[in-house]
Order: sequence, then structure tokens, then C-alpha cells
Amino acid sequence: MNNLLRMVAVLLVLLMGVTASQAQSVRPPGNAVNLDDGIEPGPPNTLGDLSDSDFWRNYRGGDPNDPQQIIGPRPDGVVLTTTGQHWRALRENYIRKYAGWAPLIVIGILAVFYVLIGPMRIKSGRSGKTLSRFNLTQRVSHWFMAAVFILLGISGLIILLGRPLIAPFLGKEVNSIMTSAAMQGHNLFGPLFIVALVWMFIKFVRGNFFQWVDLKWIFKLGGFFGGHVSSHEFNFGEKSWFWMVTIVGTVISVTGVLLLFPWLVEDLRILQLSTILHGLGAVGLISVLFGHIYVGTIGMEGSLDSMLKGEVDEHWAKEHHDLWYEKVTGKSASETAKEEEPS
Amino acid sequence: MSFLEFVEGPLFLVASAIFLLGVVWRVGGIILIGRKKDISPPKGSAAMGFLKGNLRHFIPRGIFAKRTALHLIAGYGFHLALLVLVLFAAPHIAFIQDRLVNVNLPEMPRWGFILTAEISFAGLIMLWVRRISDPVMRLISDWDDHIGSWLTFLVMLTGCLALQESHGFLRAQHMLVVDVWLIYFPFSRLMHAFTFFLSRGNSGATYGRKGINL
Repeated sequence: MNNLLRMVAVLLVLLMGVTASQAQSVRPPGNAVNLDDGIEPGPPNTLGDLSDSDFWRNYRGGDPNDPQQIIGPRPDGVVLTTTGQHWRALRENYIRKYAGWAPLIVIGILAVFYVLIGPMRIKSGRSGKTLSRFNLTQRVSHWFMAAVFILLGISGLIILLGRPLIAPFLGKEVNSIMTSAAMQGHNLFGPLFIVALVWMFIKFVRGNFFQWVDLKWIFKLGGFFGGHVSSHEFNFGEKSWFWMVTIVGTVISVTGVLLLFPWLVEDLRILQLSTILHGLGAVGLISVLFGHIYVGTIGMEGSLDSMLKGEVDEHWAKEHHDLWYEKVTGKSASETAKEEEPS
Repeated sequence: MSFLEFVEGPLFLVASAIFLLGVVWRVGGIILIGRKKDISPPKGSAAMGFLKGNLRHFIPRGIFAKRTALHLIAGYGFHLALLVLVLFAAPHIAFIQDRLVNVNLPEMPRWGFILTAEISFAGLIMLWVRRISDPVMRLISDWDDHIGSWLTFLVMLTGCLALQESHGFLRAQHMLVVDVWLIYFPFSRLMHAFTFFLSRGNSGATYGRKGINL
């Protein structure tokens, strides 16, 4: 038995020897690099007693008394900001992913609406008589704003959505060219938007304050439910659009100025918030703009005349802005409508 | 030869030649066509009338000043700013020195360029939207007016889009539109840049000879 055990032990020793010699015969490939070659060991214990977690937590939080953070670019010692990561995640995963859908959804709804319900005609037809609605300065300020906004909208969408929408289909080079051009154009036309916004506000603010009669417009959803709705020079929808352009436009202007001149603020988070507000505000305005364009052109007969010619048909005025009609003509909209009805 | 080299080289030379010959032909034609001889005794100087007619039109008449304020501001803003941009923008000076004539023009600082471009764009957009918003202007405007405005706008726009000077394509795009603009210029109302003084002078000379105080 003992002899048997000895023989097994000898065999095991021999087998291990063979395995070791075989392992030694495996050579590294000719192009392998020995990482130890030429690299001097660094100073030991650079982290001190800190764990990796504590180290990065300090960097992230910013401890001005920590000598390890002297390379920090900011006076409070913050080297890394988690808000930057949150901002990037929000921008990449949500805004860039879904922003493009908002205008498309609005266009889709308008298309369906146009096909199913069609344009809103002047029920009693055109009278041939017109009323002056917008003067030349108002019209020029409106179209000036429209022109600048379209240029900014197109260039802004290229900047925001170029990477996910242009690069995969037309290539990175084309996206780079378009984004470079869009950036220059956007920065150039941005200040003109502020001029247009102030000018348009001054020219249109009169008549755009909300009134009690607007409540009826809301309850009847602008006449889609419950028949005719009275309104003054501007109805609730127009007033809402005016104030949306004013308020969101102001936000876009302020954030745009901050992004154009980033040294105006010290806190990086303000700039991060600015890009979010700027993008969301612009996409919101662009989306609603399609509704404005629809109602102003093919959606409502006679609307475009007010901004092209400055005049509207009397019947249009009676049907859509009866209180304004009564104010400017001194006549009752309902009585003149009855008089004109064929007996 | 790359596309950029083509639009900056041969095409630019051809376009410039058409521009120069066309302008000389048009202006020369107007001058050579002459005027019907006026046999009435002159009551004033036609030459002074020509000069006064030109100068007087730079300022609006008092009764029209308010009505034409927008037109006036936008018109002056656009034309003067465009002239400054063409002559004093750094990339233009480099191009003029490299391709045309070695002159030392002062370069505008970048902020000056941006500000001038803003004024020029604002002026041009306002003038065009006035053209489509004013019923009278719309009535007397034809395709030539709109094409001239849009081509000029595209020249300015493509120039500003290439401002970063990061891609040759953007520069080529700008130069291509400039070439088209130069070729279109002599055959369109863009010629008013050269004929305005003849038109104003003609009216001024007629009035001056009749002794009408302008």
C-alpha cells in the first residue's frame, strides 16, 4: 500500500514538472510590449488615506481647502460638476431625442384638421368692402419678426438636431458644414430677434390684454363648440400667441445673450439651464408657429389680407371680431348682418 | 481644379467682366441716348439743377419725412452697411489684395463686422417686407425686384454663414452666389446703384433749366 502511495506521489510530481516545463515553452508574440519597460514607478501613496470614492466625491463636491484640488478651474475648487452630466443626459436623451417630434405632431394635427374639417370660410361671403386693420409699420414689424424667426428656427434646429438627424443620413462632414454655417447664422440673426421682439411688442401690445369676453372664447373653444364667439380686435387665441411670443421670446433672448457671451455669468449651471430653456422655448414657439401660419393662411379665409394688405373684408370682421367691427364702424355687427341677409 | 478654385478663379473673372462691360454699356447707353433739345430760353442753370437734384434727394421732403421714416432708415442702413462690409470686412480685403488690386484698406474689427452685418440684414429684410406689405409697392414690384433683393440677401447670408472659415464649401457657396449676382447685376434693377445719379440729375437739370427752386 505504501509502495502504491509512493508511486502515485512520484507520478504527480513528474506530471507537475511536465506541465511547468510546457508552460515555460509558451512564448509571448513578437510584437508584445512589456509594460514595465521604460516606465519609472510613480510616487507611492498619492491618494493618501483617501479611498477612490472619497477622492472623486471631493473632486465633485469641491473642497477649497483640499490641496489636491488646486488644479480646479473655479475658485470654489470644483473640478467636476455632476450638473454637467445631468445636463448632457437631459440634452442627449430627451431634448435631442424628442424635440423634433413636437413640430411634426402639430403639422400632423393641422393636416388631419384640414382634411377632415377644411378651411374656415367667410360664411356670408366677401362683401367687397374693407376695413383697415393693421398699418404699414405693424405689418412690416410682423414680417420682419417672421423673417428673422424663420432664419433662426432653421439654423437652431440644425444646431440642435444635426447630430441625430443629419449626420446618420448625410454624413458627419455634411453635418459639420451645416452646423458651422447654422451657428454663424444663428449668432448673427439672434440680436435681430431681440430688435424684432421689442418692435413687435410696442406695435401690438394695445388690444392684446385679456378681457372678460375672452372667457367665452375659451369655453366655446374659439367657436368650434357652441357657435359664434365675440371678440375685440384680437381673440383669445391671438392674445395667447402674442403673450407666448413675448414671454418665451424674452426667455429665448436672455438665454441666447448668455450663450453668446458666456463670460457674463460665473455659474456654469446658469449656462446649462440656458441651453435647456433656449432649446425648449424655441421648439415650443416653432411648434405653435405652425398653428399660427395655418390659421393665418389656408386655415381661415380672409386672414392673410390683414397682414398683406392691411385691410380685411367687413364680413370677415363681423364674423371673427364683431366687437372690434362695432368699435371701428360704430354699427352693430348683428343688425348689419340681418340687414344684409336676403329677404 | 477644385470647385472653390473654379468659382474664385475663372468664373469670378468671367462674372466680373460681364459686370463691368454690362455696367459700362448700360450707363454709356443712357448717356449717349441724350435728351431732346430744349429750344426754350433757359431760366436757370441745368448743371446746378443736376447737382441739386442729386443732393436734394438724399433728404426726404418735410411733409413725407414721417411717412417715409421706415423706408429711409432701412434704406440708408442697408446700403451704407453693405458698402462698409464689401470694402472693410477682413476676408474681403484679403480677397481684394489677393485677386484684384494690392490696396491697403483698414480692416474692421470682428465686432464691427457683426454690427454692420446686423444693420445691413435688418435694412434689407425691412425693405423687402415693406415691398410685400405695402399695396402700392407690391403693385409696382415685379420679379426683377424680388430676384434682385433675394440674390443680394443670399450673397450676404452665404458670406455670413462662411464666417467661421472652417469649410471651403461654405466659401465656395458664397463665391458662387457672388458670381451669379455679378452676372445678373447689369441686366436688372440692381443697376440703380449706378443709374440713380443720372435719374435724379435728369429731373434736377430739367427743373433747374426752368428755374424751379428744388
